[in-house]
Amino acid sequence: MNVIEVDDVSKAYGDVQALDGLSLSVEQGATLGVFGTNGAGKTTLFKLLAGLNRPDDGSVSVAGADPTDGTTVRERVRYLPEHAGFPPSLTGREILRFHARMRSVPSTERAHHVERILHTVGLAEAADRRVGGYSNGMNRRLGLGTALVGEPAVLILDEPTAGLDPDGIRAFHEVVESLAAETDVTIVFSSHALGEIQRLCSEAVIIADGRVATAGPVEELRRAAADEVTVSLSLASEGDASDAAAELQDFEAATSIARAGTDVTARTTPADAYDLLTAVGEAHDIDRFEVREPGLEAAFHEAVSESSHSGDGTRPIATEDSGGEPA
Amino acid sequence: MSDGKSSADPTPDGGVVAADTPATRLHDGGTEENATTTATDDFALARLADNSLLTIARREYRLAVRSRWALGVALLFGLFTAAVVQFGASSVGPGRFDAVIATIAELGVYLVPLTALAVGYDAIVGADERGSLELLLALPVTKGRVVVGIAVGRAAVLSGAMLLGFVPGALLTVRHIGLASVGPYAAVALAAVLTACAMLGVSVLVSTVARTKTHALGAALAIWLWVALLHDLVALGAVAGFDLGSGAIAATILLNPVDCFRVLALSQVDVVAGGFGSVLAQAGLTTPMVAAALVAWVVVPVGIAAKLIQRRRL
Repeated sequence: MNVIEVDDVSKAYGDVQALDGLSLSVEQGATLGVFGTNGAGKTTLFKLLAGLNRPDDGSVSVAGADPTDGTTVRERVRYLPEHAGFPPSLTGREILRFHARMRSVPSTERAHHVERILHTVGLAEAADRRVGGYSNGMNRRLGLGTALVGEPAVLILDEPTAGLDPDGIRAFHEVVESLAAETDVTIVFSSHALGEIQRLCSEAVIIADGRVATAGPVEELRRAAADEVTVSLSLASEGDASDAAAELQDFEAATSIARAGTDVTARTTPADAYDLLTAVGEAHDIDRFEVREPGLEAAFHEAVSESSHSGDGTRPIATEDSGGEPA
Repeated sequence: MSDGKSSADPTPDGGVVAADTPATRLHDGGTEENATTTATDDFALARLADNSLLTIARREYRLAVRSRWALGVALLFGLFTAAVVQFGASSVGPGRFDAVIATIAELGVYLVPLTALAVGYDAIVGADERGSLELLLALPVTKGRVVVGIAVGRAAVLSGAMLLGFVPGALLTVRHIGLASVGPYAAVALAAVLTACAMLGVSVLVSTVARTKTHALGAALAIWLWVALLHDLVALGAVAGFDLGSGAIAATILLNPVDCFRVLALSQVDVVAGGFGSVLAQAGLTTPMVAAALVAWVVVPVGIAAKLIQRRRL
């Protein structure tokens, strides 16, 4: 069952076309990673899903309803904006209690509920400090905490780990992994850390120029992006490495050959990786080797590259650095 | 697009918040909650929305108290009323209370709107710039109710602070003039509070449509200039230059909350003091009419703001 349906949605801010016929569907319980260049339209998409804005064209449905129609969707959806801020004179606990009250968490459970969230996001010790004294990372943790209040069915998180320290990032990963494993909460988040999406998400969508450039299960995207693997070799000596690199120039299936010290890397097809290793191993002593599969980064570059080639190049795109235009 | 995950355990508790018991009521897409009648849902939603409005108002109240502007307003009005009563009531003669009220009315037309506009101009645009407006608007409450809740919270603090500020003047009035003066003095204080709420409503409207706090501040100052100074000059010019009927004069008064305040304040005494007050007798206005106009000035701008927030670019 699709919990999110976005059908041919367009949204412009003045002359800036933030979304341009974007379509997307997400099944209940999926963890969807959204990534794209700055200004691709991720934040605009999230605001439409959260019911903060209306599309100019097309339709958006979350949990079976229009997000801008009443408060039904917002009861089930949690949205964490990229630049969420809090009144500096309130404490972290007070802010979470406010959200718990607004989310109708029963008063008898409220204190315990808030306490658990504080522990989950690692703010238990700072709970009674005023937010004005929080660091940027603590503010992000608190924002994540507000998204966890109550009974979320869909979490929409706009770059939730931006500005977080490693502990905060780990806490976020643990929360997402727990939710994905133990509940059927649908999680949609954006990130520029592709490894994060690769690790946490079952699905991924790449947005470019306000459209979906490519989408699908993370593994499929990863494999479809490039049919090459990277072979890294560490040889016994620099001389061996130099000779091996030279010999690989004659190896038809090897590309992007590079040498640094005793290390040699080359790209080849998965089918030819074994032959390449054998060829080098027969002539030289290999201390160790590694065959790396393509990552999401390759998928991203390929999708963005294809998108930019398919466009006419004249459509203005919202940029996050352009001074206030949501992107 | 899905990995097809579904919850095998209807009451998971894996140590994360979303796995709390209440969370499962939504996650399981279950049966009991879905079986409730539409009527019950509607009632629950209505109750939720009402509670949400008050919750937002309470939060705004707390923010205002902690930011100490409420204390500043109370001190400002305390000094203002104490000074006016102390110096005004020191004159000899039966008209000294009238002089006190007239002075409060004349100085209040500057102070009351300026204070209210300063309190309200950043209500919405300030939250937007701070990054908290989107979080508020993403809560299960209509955008309009968020605006109303913020306005109600700020109005409550402003009213309380102003009433507190009128207390020193009241005590001095009793001391210098007697208990009989308390009633009219209280009426003037209430008129000032109502006027402040009206101007707060206007400033919340400004804050809702302004793109930046700077724009909102500029608009608020322009509005203050109009209601405190220019409106009277234009109205007096119109009265002097044209043979305006009483209806037009009344409308001119009712179109400015500050003039409404002046009318209400001066209706407590026998004097008719300067500015636009000199034409009040011809206007055919009654105290309830003016009070009703002020109430409309409170409600209408906030109502418009509650509508316009829908169109605010987020």
